[in-house]
Amino acid sequence: MKILMKEDFKAFVNALIGDPSLDTVGVKAKGQKFVFDSLDSADELRLDYDVTILPPKKYFLPQYETIVEFDMSQPFSAKRPEYPRKRVIIGVHPYDIAAIRQMDSYFLDTDITEAYLRRRKNTLIIGSDVITVSPTAFFGDMKTGEVKSGYDLFITDLGDRVSFEVGTEEGERLLRHAANLKDSTPVDLQKRKAKRNSANGKAMRGLMAKPNVWHDLLEKNFESIVWKNQSDKCLACGTCTLVCPTCFCYDINDEINLTLKSGERVRTWDGCLLRQFTVISTGEVFREDIVDRYRHRFHRKGRYLPDRLGFVACVGCGRCSSQCVPDIADPVKMMNMLFESSEHVIAEDGDRDAHSVSIDAKNFDLEGTISLHMPKPATIIRAEKVTEKEMFFEIEMDDHKPLGHQPGQFVEVSLFGSGEAPISVSSPPGGNTFELVVRKAGDLTNKLHLMKAGDKVGIRGPFGKGFDAEALKKKNLLFIAGGLGIVPMRSLFNHVLNNRPDYGEVTVLYGCKEPCEMLFKDEVAAWGQRKDITHLLTVDKCPDGECWEGDIGVVGKLIPKVKFDPKHTIVILVGPPVFYKFVIRDLKKLEVPDENIIVSLERRMKCGVGKCGHCQMSGVYVCKDGPVFNYKEIKDNKEAFK
Amino acid sequence: MKPRVAFFDFASCEGCQLSVANLEESLVDVLKLIDIVAFREVMKEHSDQYDIAIVEGSITRPMDEERLKKIRANANILIALGACAHLGGVQRMANQWTPEENKKEVYGIANPADIADSNRFFEKPRQKALDEVVKVDYTIPGCPINKEEFAKVLIALLTGRKPPIPDYPVCVECKKKENVCMFTIGKFCMGPLARAGCGAPCPTAGNECEACRGYVDHPHEKAQTDVLEKYGLTVDDIMRRKTMFTYRYVEKPKDGA
Ligand SMILES: Cc1cc2nc3c(=O)[nH]c(=O)nc-3n(C[C@H](O)[C@H](O)[C@H](O)COP(=O)(O)OP(=O)(O)OC[C@H]3O[C@@H](n4cnc5c(N)ncnc54)[C@H](O)[C@@H]3O)c2cc1C
Ligand code: SF4
Ligand code: SF4
Ligand code: SF4
Ligand code: SF4
Ligand code: SF4
Ligand code: FES
Repeated sequence: MKILMKEDFKAFVNALIGDPSLDTVGVKAKGQKFVFDSLDSADELRLDYDVTILPPKKYFLPQYETIVEFDMSQPFSAKRPEYPRKRVIIGVHPYDIAAIRQMDSYFLDTDITEAYLRRRKNTLIIGSDVITVSPTAFFGDMKTGEVKSGYDLFITDLGDRVSFEVGTEEGERLLRHAANLKDSTPVDLQKRKAKRNSANGKAMRGLMAKPNVWHDLLEKNFESIVWKNQSDKCLACGTCTLVCPTCFCYDINDEINLTLKSGERVRTWDGCLLRQFTVISTGEVFREDIVDRYRHRFHRKGRYLPDRLGFVACVGCGRCSSQCVPDIADPVKMMNMLFESSEHVIAEDGDRDAHSVSIDAKNFDLEGTISLHMPKPATIIRAEKVTEKEMFFEIEMDDHKPLGHQPGQFVEVSLFGSGEAPISVSSPPGGNTFELVVRKAGDLTNKLHLMKAGDKVGIRGPFGKGFDAEALKKKNLLFIAGGLGIVPMRSLFNHVLNNRPDYGEVTVLYGCKEPCEMLFKDEVAAWGQRKDITHLLTVDKCPDGECWEGDIGVVGKLIPKVKFDPKHTIVILVGPPVFYKFVIRDLKKLEVPDENIIVSLERRMKCGVGKCGHCQMSGVYVCKDGPVFNYKEIKDNKEAFK
Repeated sequence: MKPRVAFFDFASCEGCQLSVANLEESLVDVLKLIDIVAFREVMKEHSDQYDIAIVEGSITRPMDEERLKKIRANANILIALGACAHLGGVQRMANQWTPEENKKEVYGIANPADIADSNRFFEKPRQKALDEVVKVDYTIPGCPINKEEFAKVLIALLTGRKPPIPDYPVCVECKKKENVCMFTIGKFCMGPLARAGCGAPCPTAGNECEACRGYVDHPHEKAQTDVLEKYGLTVDDIMRRKTMFTYRYVEKPKDGA
């Protein structure tokens, strides 16, 4: 440990500020509160702060960040913006360092978020011990008042002097700006220890349910009345998520400049307490009731992320509790309330806490990372209007490589200025082109309907987990499609038809609202010519003047009309949300085992890669863990078929 | 062909139109995209041939209603501009009382002749928002409107997209700006109910938000009332805050209306 006397410390900070290669940020006062902001002078730095309004996550995942710059006057022109110069952040408290490490685990897992990694590698962290403890902080309870890594330098304000701990070589190099650096004495060490102990002691707020029981506590009390009682007071203002250092959800929107020729794709903070977080273009809202949104936040912190990444996603900073106006966002109060009212025995989950699994952002190489949000150019080969609302597209990637998708996967289709949308790949795997069918629903899909052969679109993907065509080999298959569900189903169905000898009996039931909405009419007609498949069609109603030879009624009504062995048939279901409830009920009456039912689900999506948070269905990311699921795996997911 | 745009005003301070006129350098760009055929703030001549009508002000008198209906009939797209057109404006507060009470309050009762209903300008004025009279396609809220948002809406219309008016509360933008929350410094704020899009200029400047942009689609009003009470506002105070710009949401028809 090294020591700088206060005056030398100030000179050190001023030297950092004066270094033109660095953007020096530190904690400053804002009214009675504190914020991280650019420093103009060492005198502004407040190492005695209790907590900042926003956490330092704003430097890694800024409130607003341009992720793509595009030029609409070109067929396809996208570039990623320049990143800011190197930054040093002075005064990051241990709990916020723990949170940054959680962010690392989140953004640097299987899909490396390039923009995040760039900022992360470009930022030096000077941690600092907590001198003043905020009244709502509970990092003592969460054991996040002390960190062993995750900083480049770590300082402690010891009154007339400041102690330094070196975390990384890069941190050590910063010390070239420090004059009169001395070795510490045992007294300094003792003083530091006392400060730490005192802060950690003060930051204990009587959390009865230790972090390692949160998981079980939340799981067993999902239906507790406590959720509703508390959420009745909720303003749905989003504050608790926005100010949280371990909330990472974001939205993406296109903004066009006044010239109408260029624009930007902008990523911005979003949060699950906001109603619009789960709304889709049909107006459906997956978490309409405030209680569901309120509950989701706690469950994500104590259950879903722990399951996924191994740590409790709360570091006890107390920002949510101090900034929630009705004072209902405090994890201590919530967990204690659940704990006290819980009728169950709550199991401990080892020594799980808020410290993230060991992942070191600085060791990640930028080479080889992909810009998750940068679409690749592709060309429309064929565009045909197939019904009043749907258009068919055949698309080829401009690198002339096959998309490489599995049946049931989707792509993010992108038009600069109109945004992006998840669209299922409708063609079977293989081939140099792929097919989509797009229904007019909103900004992007309306624009797509104006496009023609030769036009450029952007494509990201393929994404998600599709159907496992290998595992289905030799099995009897019953396909049931409702409405647009035929689109993703077709990728598997046509694959099965192309490899017909590999599969057992094949039956397909397809229903839509009216005869005019039926898709792939030629292919459906061809099904009738084949002896090796059985098919039945139905429409909800047939208006006067249209001709229809199939059944009338919902698609579930077709199930009793086909012969299949319920115990030895895999049933593949794809349709709108209401469809599942009824069809699954009908299948269960026939005692089809859960594991023989395969579904493909829909949720609001933005990123497609398990980062933006929109598609979460309890702890499951539909974009990544799905959209195809085995019914057995998700039937107990409380949000799946709500 | 460039879309023809016409501006109209009813009962208002014309502040919103002024905001548009003040788009300044960017106005030049806007002008390249559209033909403005009527705009009293910046030009004298005007034409009745237009595609988009942008209408400011609240509807007060029967003659206003007739005029608005004509504008609606002429326009393909009608946009309500600002709080007066969107909600009825601050002047809507007057709807809490009968026209007689309002006249007495304003002119006193010294001269009973003045409060007789003989003067046609005093024909039982009741403030209405545009959509209480005609169909409104889009609304640009605010008192006054935010000019960047105005430009965004125009761009969206010209590029065939939905105008990007958010449906989340002002708190979201306020938090992103890292403001000290009004509630923590002994002030009160309607931000949790108010529709964002303005960028939270009021709390950013240390002032309470008065929800001049109206509420989000599903405001949690009860929770907000509880909060205002908890922070020490009386029922009357709460009512006053809820009537400033947003009397529309609580208005009950009055005698004499
Ligand atoms: C896995 C998956 C596969 C899909 N496959 C198809 C398909 O093959 N054909 C088809 O026509 N439609 C499909 N959809 C629905 C399609 O994504 C929406 O209709 C589309 O996002 C609407 O975008 P928009 O910009 O036109 O509408 P807007 O209302 O302007 O939507 C704005 C944004 O909200 C999100 N959003 C809105 N609706 C949905 C939705 N239903 N699902 C997910 N996100 C949504 C998107 O990010 C979208 O860009 C699929 C959805 C999912 C989740
Ligand atoms: S819990 Fe509190 S901070 Fe979170 S949305 Fe509700 S009122 Fe806002
Ligand atoms: S949940 Fe609250 S206390 Fe926990 S990390 Fe987030 S803001 Fe801090
Ligand atoms: S889903 Fe999680 S990370 Fe996203 S806003 Fe909610 S609590 Fe935060
Ligand atoms: S000042 Fe107002 S708008 Fe800002 S966070 Fe507080 S309540 Fe919300
Ligand atoms: S902060 Fe509130 S009062 Fe101010 S402009 Fe926005 S909505 Fe209107
Ligand atoms: S997490 Fe972004 S769409 Fe699934």
